[in-house]
Amino acid sequence: MDAEIWGLIAGSAISLGAYSVLIGDNPISKITENVYMGILGGYIFATNWDFIQKNAINKVAGGDYIYILSIILSIMLLGRLKSEYLWVSRYPVVLTVGVGLGLAMRTTVMADFLGQIQATLLPWTSLNNLVMVIGTVTAAAYFIFTAQSSGVYKYVNTAGRVFLLSAFGVTYGQTVSFRFELVIGRLVAMLDPRVANYTYVMILIIAVVLIFGYTTKRIEWYSGR
Amino acid sequence: MSILNKILNLDQRIIYAALFIALAYPILSPVILPMDIQGYSQQAFDFSDSIPEGTIVIFEGGLGAATYPQGGPGMVVQIYHMLTKGVKIVFFSIGTEQNFWTVRAIETAIAKLPPGTPAENGVDWVHLGYVAGGEAGVGSLVNDIRATVTSDYYGTPIDDIPLLEGVNDASSFSAVLWWGGSEGSMPYGIRQISVPFGIPITGMSTTNEVPNFSPYISAGQLQGIFGGVRGSAEYEYLMRLPGPALGQAMATNFGGLLWMALVILGNVIYFIQRSRGEE
Amino acid sequence: MSESLIKIQIPVYLSAIFGILMILEHFFPMPGVVTGFNVAMRSFTTVVSAAALMLGVIFLTISHARTISQQKGGWYYSIFYMISLLITVGLGLLSVRNTNFLWIYDNMTSPTGAALYSLTAFYITSAAYRVFRARNWNAAVLLICGFIVLAMLIPIGGILLPPVVPIGEWLRSYPSSAGFRGMIMGTSLGIMGLGVRVFIGRQKEHLGIREERRGA
Repeated sequence: MDAEIWGLIAGSAISLGAYSVLIGDNPISKITENVYMGILGGYIFATNWDFIQKNAINKVAGGDYIYILSIILSIMLLGRLKSEYLWVSRYPVVLTVGVGLGLAMRTTVMADFLGQIQATLLPWTSLNNLVMVIGTVTAAAYFIFTAQSSGVYKYVNTAGRVFLLSAFGVTYGQTVSFRFELVIGRLVAMLDPRVANYTYVMILIIAVVLIFGYTTKRIEWYSGR
Repeated sequence: MSILNKILNLDQRIIYAALFIALAYPILSPVILPMDIQGYSQQAFDFSDSIPEGTIVIFEGGLGAATYPQGGPGMVVQIYHMLTKGVKIVFFSIGTEQNFWTVRAIETAIAKLPPGTPAENGVDWVHLGYVAGGEAGVGSLVNDIRATVTSDYYGTPIDDIPLLEGVNDASSFSAVLWWGGSEGSMPYGIRQISVPFGIPITGMSTTNEVPNFSPYISAGQLQGIFGGVRGSAEYEYLMRLPGPALGQAMATNFGGLLWMALVILGNVIYFIQRSRGEE
Repeated sequence: MSESLIKIQIPVYLSAIFGILMILEHFFPMPGVVTGFNVAMRSFTTVVSAAALMLGVIFLTISHARTISQQKGGWYYSIFYMISLLITVGLGLLSVRNTNFLWIYDNMTSPTGAALYSLTAFYITSAAYRVFRARNWNAAVLLICGFIVLAMLIPIGGILLPPVVPIGEWLRSYPSSAGFRGMIMGTSLGIMGLGVRVFIGRQKEHLGIREERRGA
């Protein structure tokens, strides 16, 4: 059996462990979650260390000594480990916050604000254009302004709310489909013809273990709705 | 407890089991139905097809483990599309996990290419690997590639890569392809690359994020979008490149029908109870 | 006084300097020393962000280590965390392209992550059945739009109810798009407002300092 098949079987086993949480918290799901956190944490740690090595340490070793500052700033983050040295970690934080905000602010004006306003300046020659103009204005008014909902403004508020609710409704419908696609993606791998039988056997094993646990009260059964 | 209340208070584990079966059954016994091409997908395809041969595009690979089954087939098709058109690609990822799946998609796409299609690493495509920092990382990369990364994913120094000769910022690119998955990062591409450098952008997001980006599409800032597994399936169909996305798109049928049936049932019982004055 | 200067005021001034220089560079021609400084700061940001992610893992590990040493409830599960972390970090530090490292990620983490992320499908279905009611017109708008769009997305929906496809596409392209456009503009103003507040020192949450309300 080659590495790919072993991989599919291992993936199937660990996925079933994760899905077992649907029955209720149990030792199998907790072990799966902790193993997952450990491996993911290790992956993130190693990959980011590799990035720092390539883009800071190697640069310093190559003569670009200014990057020593980036290494020092990274080490300063460790100040967060002790409350009396928390202030030391503020320096690298303000770098990321300042640069990040500056980059976001300088481009959001054109892309998200002026660009969207420009796109709303449509001729009132079709129903679709009318919907876009009225919808954008009323939704923005409802979202941004905190004026009292009275008089004419009450209708602006109501219209804005309708458009925002339609946006949330559309997003909700799309989200339901997205969640199903996530399960399907996993099931396709678990029910791959090469490993489907292993999946069924593992479902049986997990069922036996959980039934034993619940009936002997070693695992607490929760009476869900 | 009345029969209606008993139905409404059904143990949720029964619903979970029903959904599991509804989603698993079409995988074991596929049913292929006709499917329209969505307007956003057609727009994204038409734009991708119009990218001039010989130009370079920048490609963000943002699919993770959970979203690769949905978007991976489409990403493979996009890479295939570009390479068969003679468009060169500069890849990067803003997530560590996403970086891994980008490499997977590149390898899968190259394996599918017709014999003789140019696909040499460093000449026709290059993967710059993981770039930390989120939007700030994107901003750093597209304004000065060499200040941000020193080598590609495989360890080749940037200055030794023929494709990047004379290329140090986004002004060298003809288009942005942003396969952001569920990162919600498409606005990074629009704000940091497309609008400042005047480069058109298209790409993919998971199904739930498509409405978030529809204002950018109607404003002309985003040239269509492939949404989730349905978008991937449509791209496979438009490129006449059969793949796993179509089967997965079909598998959403029974789950969707179950969801709709449950919502209708819940509302019918609610209105019956309300008309009787029950809580 | 000087303690406050080093611990609070200088960081605030620095965040303003970094941010304002980034903004000015975008709109006005700047001398080479400023653009060079900005390039360096952007590059440093990527390195510090990578370090911050590593720090997150360190914090999580310390938390699990405390759980084990103090034998708090469920401490034995933390042992699984430690073992899997140490093995993965060990292999990853050898090389991030190590075959075993990538095998572990591909066949252990990826499936679990995908499975955990997909659990929400079950919760969303159960919640829709129990809670999603058209109690008033607000909820009815939400329900109807969601219903139509889901029917549009599943291939069988277009076959059973053909009108849902054009109606769903129209809903997504026009009313929903208009609603989101309003939100995008609001969010954009929010980003600008937040930026100004951070640069003038009115918002210091990112420094771990909670602003006290006036008159409180």
